[in-house]
Amino acid sequence: MTDAIISAMRIRAIAAAATLAIAALPAQAQFRLDLNRAIDTAKSIGKATTQMTEAQEIDLGKQWAATLLGAAPLMAHPELQSYVNALGRWISLHSERPDLPWQFGVLESDNINAFATPGGYILVTKGLLARLKSEAELAGVLGHEITHVIQKHHLKAIQKAAGLQAGANILSEVTAKGRNPAVTDRLVGGIKELMLRGLDKDDEFESDRMGVVLAARAGYDPYGLPAVLQMLNAMSASDSELALMFSTHPAPSARLDTLERAMGSQLDRFAGKPGSGRFEKLVLGR
Amino acid sequence: MGICLLLCAAVAQAQDSGVAARATEILKDPSADSAVVGQLQEAAAVKILARQGGWMRIESAGGNGWVRLLAIRTTGVAPSTQSRGGFLSFLSRPSTGGGQTVTTGVRGLDKEQIQNAKPNTAELQKMAGFAANKPEAERFGASAGLTRQQVGYLKPPAAPGGQ
Repeated sequence: MTDAIISAMRIRAIAAAATLAIAALPAQAQFRLDLNRAIDTAKSIGKATTQMTEAQEIDLGKQWAATLLGAAPLMAHPELQSYVNALGRWISLHSERPDLPWQFGVLESDNINAFATPGGYILVTKGLLARLKSEAELAGVLGHEITHVIQKHHLKAIQKAAGLQAGANILSEVTAKGRNPAVTDRLVGGIKELMLRGLDKDDEFESDRMGVVLAARAGYDPYGLPAVLQMLNAMSASDSELALMFSTHPAPSARLDTLERAMGSQLDRFAGKPGSGRFEKLVLGR
Repeated sequence: MGICLLLCAAVAQAQDSGVAARATEILKDPSADSAVVGQLQEAAAVKILARQGGWMRIESAGGNGWVRLLAIRTTGVAPSTQSRGGFLSFLSRPSTGGGQTVTTGVRGLDKEQIQNAKPNTAELQKMAGFAANKPEAERFGASAGLTRQQVGYLKPPAAPGGQ
């Protein structure tokens, strides 16, 4: 392999291989040379992530959400979609990024999950919604997802994976100057890989911790999210509807343990608020 | 009882079950300064009768009363018998920890379906059509009597056992 044919893209592939193969091939001079170059590339990728503009973040989020919508479409219930948007947008107003183009949707899927993407596109599944008992529980779920966006957890995950092909693919596409607006296979491939890998465990705990506060700020009982985690805890980890969520998140019991230690009784004065009845009417049919 | 009708909006529909995550006092009422009526041992089984805010009303061998929601780990949720006339009424309410689960429609969003997904920009445009603007969101909050609260973020907890 000559330097002449090593494109920037190839170097990133080598970075991934180098990370995995460093112990196996320590003595090869050519390899060391490539590794140094790969490390330089990885550093510039990290810089690119931190310098990603809000417009690029939103652009990435659009591709991310379109990919999710390619796996499952929106539920065909306009009134429900509008309701979830109003509720989510209301909670987002209490966050540190109230001016993002927040959008929310319910996916026609029996799987139990919720997704955030960079830039403020948030999707919950019908399967999750069908198991919730109150608007406060939905507010807690949306507060958790909104936190992923305001804390830029996906961008951190991309940066962390920058030595790997998924992160490199996303970054090279998003930050490339004059990128063709058409979605490229490389970008979508990187998004899918990160989606299946999930976010950092500590970022999930942070989203629980900040999600309950966002719900409380918006006037809801902060114990909605803990109640959802209790419901998930009662479900079997072998349930296929939960497979993806359980493989990309810490176990519900660990999330409850961590949340209990963070919350204590600090938010109790906001607890036990009655609902307005509209969730009960619209979703539960009471 | 009138107050309970308002405040017990999140009452569990039937008898859910759980275990105590840690030893805790059972209280007469859902309030930290309420009288102690029993003791719940770690890992003790409980029946969950109701939830109110951060509290659960339970029955156990160690007594009946209220314990903190986060002191319990729910292990079984009773199937609901409530009527469903809302948008999800066509779904049989899914059950857990027992009864049958009825699934309908697109399963979607497992690992394989994400791997095989082609970006759907038409659905993305549809999603944008449902977006709420700030004034609409403010009206949504006001119409339900939701009021803005000043609440600071919580500190990350110390490592387990480090307290």
